[in-house]
Amino acid sequence: MYYPEPISKLIDSFTKLPGIGPKTAVRLAFFVLNMKEDDVLEFANSLVNAKRELTHCSTCGHITDQDPCSICQDTSRDQSIICVVQDPKDVIAMEKMKEFHGKYHVLHGAISPMDGIGPEDINVPDLINRLKDEEVEELILATNPNIEGEATAMYISRLVKPSGIRTTRIAHGLPVGGDLEYADEVTLSKALEGRRDL
Amino acid sequence: MHIEKLQLKNYRNYHKLDISFDDKINVIIGENAQGKTNLMEAIYLLAFTKSHRTPREKELIKWDEEYAKIEGRITKRKQSFPLEIVISSKGKKAKLNRLEQKRLSDYIGALNVVMFAPEDLTLVKGAPQIRRRFIDMELGQIQPRYIYHLGQYQKILKQRNSVLKQLQRRSDQDTTMLQVLTEQLAEHAATLLERRFVFLDLLRKWASPIHYGISRQLESLEIKYSPTIEVSEEANKEKIEDIYCEKFKSIQEKEIERGTTLIGPHRDDLLFYVNHRDVQTYGSQGQQRTAALSVKLAEIELIYSEVGEYPILLLDDVLSELDDFRQSHLLNTIHGKVQTFVSTTSVDGINHETLEKAEIFRVQEGKVEA
Repeated sequence: MYYPEPISKLIDSFTKLPGIGPKTAVRLAFFVLNMKEDDVLEFANSLVNAKRELTHCSTCGHITDQDPCSICQDTSRDQSIICVVQDPKDVIAMEKMKEFHGKYHVLHGAISPMDGIGPEDINVPDLINRLKDEEVEELILATNPNIEGEATAMYISRLVKPSGIRTTRIAHGLPVGGDLEYADEVTLSKALEGRRDL
Repeated sequence: MHIEKLQLKNYRNYHKLDISFDDKINVIIGENAQGKTNLMEAIYLLAFTKSHRTPREKELIKWDEEYAKIEGRITKRKQSFPLEIVISSKGKKAKLNRLEQKRLSDYIGALNVVMFAPEDLTLVKGAPQIRRRFIDMELGQIQPRYIYHLGQYQKILKQRNSVLKQLQRRSDQDTTMLQVLTEQLAEHAATLLERRFVFLDLLRKWASPIHYGISRQLESLEIKYSPTIEVSEEANKEKIEDIYCEKFKSIQEKEIERGTTLIGPHRDDLLFYVNHRDVQTYGSQGQQRTAALSVKLAEIELIYSEVGEYPILLLDDVLSELDDFRQSHLLNTIHGKVQTFVSTTSVDGINHETLEKAEIFRVQEGKVEA
């Protein structure tokens, strides 16, 4: 009522973003009004282009502007290892590490029967096909360390087992560089379970 | 431990309340529907973040108000700290020593409470879920990790039941997911069962002599745990897990047919035997009541042995229901050690000695006078 319609439409759009409440949305909307028209246009274009030009890689499911994605096309990477993650953001996190030189497979979720999400609703069938077509020696299961992620990892390892491909699960435990006293009990007990000889 | 002060805002029929308690016995007197039990409930809530009367938290907020707030100052191990619970339409916040605790298992255990209310008389004769809830709540308050494991178990159980439902509808489906969840469930079920066995062992140790005393040396009380698998209470976690896995394997078809999980700690029960006879079936009302009272008194000692301090005892409208002998037995047990709250409609049923030592509060229409 207090705002002219174009502004209230803009405010409404901002509130659709995660982490943005009504007050921040108003602040952002008025900020946009004071921006230069060129900047606003560029901003709007980036939004539209990000949505239009990005697709999911038909091989691994990662977000990409070319299909297959740059990681899948890169022949210098180790073709025999695939790291399975839940989310494209997990791929980025792994890549930042610069230590992993294998390939990825993005599931886009985890199996959760009570939410109606079965293995065929996430990218599992594609993964199985890949294992048939490509020469893979090891599958690293890097799903989240919660009940659904754990169940998804166990499920995939069971599917893959008959093929003889090695399946591994990433370790969970203490964050490096952190203090022992700040770790929660569950993490601590997991870390204790996974202790090793020195 | 004891509660020094209690402050309520917009809670049930209390608009605003600020009272200080005696660290021994507090008697709360009032007519029906004036707010006696609400006061007891508030203290219970500070300990468990949940009401013992209702799962609907909206009921706890005073009519037409936005939020309800309960604040208490606790003394434990010579330290004094505040606890705070705020309930609003957006949810519930629990603060321990002014800091918000996101996880229930980080909050529960700060204040230990044992409540004995008329509903508790059904502990022995009521439905099994009452006894399971009893185990879960009491074990949770001395061992907050148990609450975490229980939560995980319930989550996996839900997932597994969904899978069983799907298989029930289309039995030609692949059962790999079921096997995965069965393995996860068996592991968590074993964790819960192992902890329950240890707890029961302690409970028995305290309950038997107490019952013997209350019954004037006439009755023996045995508490038996009745699990859905055949297992010795001495078994360790790995052994229990193996037994669960075996059993799950053998009943898989039946579970698919029924579309739900048929065994596990969520279906176990407690059985009470007086003089070797099942009290639930053969016991008189009086025997059932005595058994329930013994268990509650045992809890007080159990918490003392595990936590190192006596819990707070809430006796909601039950003291006058006990005969003189049981009443004095109860009061002797707690004598001078346990901060106790007694609510009653009149002082008639309560023995004089108690009243003389007690601090008396009168409750009327949501106002309290010392």
